[in-house]
Amino acid sequence: MKETMGIIYTSKDEFSMRELSSNRSVTAIPVAARYRLVDFQLSNLVNSGIRKVGVLMQGRYNSLMDHLGSGKEWNLHTRNNGMYILPPSHTGASDGYLGVLDGIMANLDFLRRSNHDYVLIVGGRMVYNTLYNDMIRLHEDSGADVTMMYTRFDPVAFDFSNTSRDTRAFVGVNDEGQITDIEINPNVISYHNILMDVVLMKRTLLMHMVDLAVSRGYHELYESIIRPGIVDKSMKVMGCEFKGYCRRMETVNSYYNLNMDLLDPAVRKELFGKNPVFTKTRDDAPTKYLPGAMVKNSLIADGCEIEGEVENSVLFRGVKVCKGARIKGAIIMQDGYIGEDSLLENVILDKDVTVLKGGKMVAPKQYPVVLGKNVTI
Amino acid sequence: MRSKQMIAMLLAGGQGSRLGLLTRVMAKPAVPFGGRYRIIDFPLSNCTNSGIDTVGVLTQYQPLELNSYIGSGASWDLDLNGGGVYVLPPYVQGSEGRWYSGTANAIYQNLGFIDQYDPEYVLILSGDHIYKMDYSRMLDAHKKNNADLTIAVRPVPWKDAPSFGIMNTESDNRIFEFEEKPKQPKSNLASMGVYIFTYSELKKYLTEDNADPNSKNDFGKNIIPKMLGDGRRLFAYSFEDYWKDVGTIASLWEAHMDLLKNPPDVDLNDRRWPIYAKNPVMPPHFVGPEGEVENSMITEGCEIYGKVSGSVLSAGVIVEEGAQVKDSAIMPFTVIKKGSKVVRSIVAEQTVIGEGCEVGQEDGDIALVGQGTVLPDGYKVMAGTQVNNETLGEGK
Repeated sequence: MKETMGIIYTSKDEFSMRELSSNRSVTAIPVAARYRLVDFQLSNLVNSGIRKVGVLMQGRYNSLMDHLGSGKEWNLHTRNNGMYILPPSHTGASDGYLGVLDGIMANLDFLRRSNHDYVLIVGGRMVYNTLYNDMIRLHEDSGADVTMMYTRFDPVAFDFSNTSRDTRAFVGVNDEGQITDIEINPNVISYHNILMDVVLMKRTLLMHMVDLAVSRGYHELYESIIRPGIVDKSMKVMGCEFKGYCRRMETVNSYYNLNMDLLDPAVRKELFGKNPVFTKTRDDAPTKYLPGAMVKNSLIADGCEIEGEVENSVLFRGVKVCKGARIKGAIIMQDGYIGEDSLLENVILDKDVTVLKGGKMVAPKQYPVVLGKNVTI
Repeated sequence: MRSKQMIAMLLAGGQGSRLGLLTRVMAKPAVPFGGRYRIIDFPLSNCTNSGIDTVGVLTQYQPLELNSYIGSGASWDLDLNGGGVYVLPPYVQGSEGRWYSGTANAIYQNLGFIDQYDPEYVLILSGDHIYKMDYSRMLDAHKKNNADLTIAVRPVPWKDAPSFGIMNTESDNRIFEFEEKPKQPKSNLASMGVYIFTYSELKKYLTEDNADPNSKNDFGKNIIPKMLGDGRRLFAYSFEDYWKDVGTIASLWEAHMDLLKNPPDVDLNDRRWPIYAKNPVMPPHFVGPEGEVENSMITEGCEIYGKVSGSVLSAGVIVEEGAQVKDSAIMPFTVIKKGSKVVRSIVAEQTVIGEGCEVGQEDGDIALVGQGTVLPDGYKVMAGTQVNNETLGEGK
């Protein structure tokens, strides 16, 4: 197989996911008790044998930088290749890149100095576990110019109630697996295939097309490069279907549902049972259950101390649940402190939130409330 | 190469036969402990936290598991330029190869390794104790006393003193006598097997010891008595925090139970003194809708559908519905099937306890199921007994 390199296009910090994304890129949001979204994207690339990955940063990327470090945890600290942090360079607009093409244009040297045959561009909002090897093989065997991964669209799985600036695209696929049409941010969808923001093409072709598009004032990959190529039939674009569990993080609800889905063994098997998911480690001790602890149907990371009741919840590393505290349907990020006799239902607590003794916060399941970082209630 | 103030040499070659079936396939320091650790994580983390960046690990018995666990040393921040952790097995010198014939001989055979770093002091550790200790403080004491050898000691109950190496000291901690397992102890200060030597003295005594055909090449039996006899400056360094020898099934089990005390005897979550371990790359643990967990420690990759109390579970352990684990230590990737009951036991790695088994009893000694054992459904393991696939085969 030919050599492939990866590029992860991280999204900007924005308010589509309320406090969760107001200070960090969506790609950096903590998820599943000990991971961040980027862990899935990086692990998929690494598990597929891709040894060089550039991460296109924008907005407030300190959180992501902090997490990625040298890339050691993903085995991306090799002598050659490895992880490359590509910091924002605000050539055009002051508020980050207008589209993925701007990001690639600003880092064209990263592509130019590589000698890999293919580039796999991966978006930062999707959560799934797969290997890209079949897709790369399909790309080679079919002689395609571009190959994109898509999955069957399920309205339950994808919550689009918030419109973000990131592009979501639906595609028509013919019997030969070739993509015949692509629609971007439609109100009413014509196709039941949603793109997973995984695009494969030759490195030299990407460099050429980025230059052509950006110099004419275009910013978006799907809109300005791939769709015109499909329409005027100048490009052969293949689709590669993904059949497993896949979610797009677009709203607080989609985030909440993903975490709750993980309480289902079948979903855990989909996301963790196939290929390992790597993440930054923290050297926490195992979680300690004290006498009187009552935990049901919950996913819990290391370093917690539990003396209260926890049900249908996800606890990140280092959460302390004091005596008499009751937690139901909640997601509590790193180092949360849940004081004695407090009550939490259907809430999402960002990192380092403290709930004082007797504190109470109950939200409806349909609209989980988010408490921002470092808040005390 | 720049010379180092102090490097550490960790004696990990012991067979650990008192751990029975547990050390049948791995060296004692590689035995899993406390959910996500192995015994060797404690001395290695202590080194890192004490600012020691060069550690030689001397192995000779069943080294594979230990070698692969240590790897590059990155887990302990010991993958450094001009330092790091090195596994040192015995090797052939000239025409003849030689096993390590004793603790002193193991170090003697690696004087070449130590010389590379030209250290002023050498710290000698053993790999079978659970404790958190700042070796830099001990070095301060060694320097202050202008000592040739400093031996870490701790007070033990007088009744246990006859089973330790006992140091008899002056009021200024200078050791005037060392008694190996004395019948009538004069002191209750037991050696912890942690030594700091001034390297020039160590080298001299090891070389002399090697030339003596009657020597057992052992620190306790030969080197220390010899140095005392020569009037060298030997000092005791008293350590009073938690320290547990985990050389037997019973003490290994007790050390696990000590972790469950509230507050625990040894705090594994102390950010100022972290105990590092190799990351198993497993998802968070899950407690099922019918699961019950109380007074226990659970780590990544575990799935609990049954009942767990008073126990420490390692990574990837599965407790099926209706199964019960009580007052036990379960090592990585073991499955306890439906309706089984495990009490007062140690169950080693990658073991399958079949449905409806009974392992251990509420009273009596600790039961042990060896690594990789597949216990057939309904099997009973009595208190104080040890089983593995071989003993199961013999029973048929």
